[in-house]
Amino acid sequence: MTFISIEFLLFLAITVLLNYIIPHRVRWILLLVASYVFYASLSIQFILLLLISTAFTYFTGIFIEKQETKKQKKKAMVVGISVLLFFLGWFKYFNFVNESLRSLATFMGWNYAIPYQEIVLPLAISFYTFQAVSYLVDIFYGKQKAERHYGYFSVYFAFFPQLVAGPIERARKLIPQLKVEQRLSYENLVYGMKRIAWGFFKKTLIADRLAPIVASVYDSPNPSGSEIVLATILFSIQLYADFSACSDIAIGSARMLGINLTENFKQPHFAVSISDFWSRWHITLSTWLRDYIFFPLCKRKKKRSEIYFAIVITFLVSGIWHGAAWTFVIWGLIHGFYRVFGDATKSYRESMASFIRLDRSPVLHRWLKIAITFLLVCFSRVFFRSDTVSQAFEHAKLFLSISSWSPVGMIKAFEIFPLFDLLLFIFFFIILQLFQYIERNNGSAWEFLSKHSTFTRLAFYIFLIFSVLVLGVTGDGFVYGGF
Amino acid sequence: MRNIEKYRNAFIHVLELEEDEVVENLELAESAEWDSIAHMALISEIEDVFDVSLDSEWMTEFNSYQSGIELLERLGVDFINE
Repeated sequence: MTFISIEFLLFLAITVLLNYIIPHRVRWILLLVASYVFYASLSIQFILLLLISTAFTYFTGIFIEKQETKKQKKKAMVVGISVLLFFLGWFKYFNFVNESLRSLATFMGWNYAIPYQEIVLPLAISFYTFQAVSYLVDIFYGKQKAERHYGYFSVYFAFFPQLVAGPIERARKLIPQLKVEQRLSYENLVYGMKRIAWGFFKKTLIADRLAPIVASVYDSPNPSGSEIVLATILFSIQLYADFSACSDIAIGSARMLGINLTENFKQPHFAVSISDFWSRWHITLSTWLRDYIFFPLCKRKKKRSEIYFAIVITFLVSGIWHGAAWTFVIWGLIHGFYRVFGDATKSYRESMASFIRLDRSPVLHRWLKIAITFLLVCFSRVFFRSDTVSQAFEHAKLFLSISSWSPVGMIKAFEIFPLFDLLLFIFFFIILQLFQYIERNNGSAWEFLSKHSTFTRLAFYIFLIFSVLVLGVTGDGFVYGGF
Repeated sequence: MRNIEKYRNAFIHVLELEEDEVVENLELAESAEWDSIAHMALISEIEDVFDVSLDSEWMTEFNSYQSGIELLERLGVDFINE
């Protein structure tokens, strides 16, 4: 039962209906059962791991709180986090480390006997582990009281709208909302449905329509440079549509239950710098990394070089979190380099902009920054999308080759699209851009729509639903669902 | 040295500002010197000078000269009756 299915919509409708019928005091039972049913429908073999991780985090939280001295609390927290990271490391990184060591041993001519292990990655482990780590750290710092109600804590740990791919929530935001009686609200129901419909639109009409086209280039043994450039740009659009759709559906589903989840995206492809990009893309992961990796690494650091080092390490962790492969490690390091290079050259770049009088045309300057940031992000995604490091470097070389960007080559590259798919993509991409344009100028496209006549609104909603039903396609789940 | 002087000196020392550039309406990211990287160094200096520890929420809350004073007052640093 993935988000993009009739089964999920039925499941959500029944859960929402029951949620408002039954008394508040037993709603946590409904939400817990619904969350475990949802998880089991996707990955029944790892439900036990989810239950163990929940129980372990719950009791560790209480144990940390009960310690008398700061030193004891710290010891309990470190042990707790180590166990959680051991689970994550075993399932997600064992083979990565094992195979890397084997390659190193082969290169050095050493004997290496540990065989490859068939380990399946438990669904959502990266997401719920990060939530658990933040919970334990917050208890240690006294920002979070250890939750004593096992039921509410378990719902926080496994809340089905955000379990599989976030947003990564903090306990102090989610648990109080679960405890407060959420009354049936017309606004919440309608807003939730609109966000879900918009998520379906982005996922089935943009992301999953682009996925096979991008794959046809990235899986091809001999793609042309222009094809790589085009496929990488399309992959950026696909990834945004895919992941933001997942967040839309999560936020919409939770809102129908009266719960507000944190927004995860703010039009990241309109960022004017790499640091701006990371304040708009996967916001809940960025803030998690900032609070639990970057800030602690910066403690007592006063030299710029030391803070640059902390930035690179933070992005390295981000890369490793995304996937157990050297391609993700390199992707993370590229972003760390971008961020440091961007900061170190800021004054030179500003002087240059002033010298060529670009700063006298702020609109042009802004759009130039947006275009450069987008292309830098696209380049990094060559590594994100490629299957192996050698393939990634081949693709990166093609991406950076000037001949790959020739207009003739780029026009020819569009042949990767069947004509009908190209027309559909252009049409729906324009709709997406119009929606985002309205959001940039009006704050919320939904509020903008609400100011229009009932006929206009209904026409838009019917257009969304019919487009999904008639032209939508579904692929292999969400990209971030695999992390 | 009074606390307010220690506080001002942290700005002068870390952000490499002149005495008269440390003004009460100074804000993070409003000047080239006080960018996000310098902000982390400034926090480290303030933590050392006043022997306090700022957690992540307070770090994000500290976004101006004035908010820094308010934050330190909440942590027990007295800027008025010292």
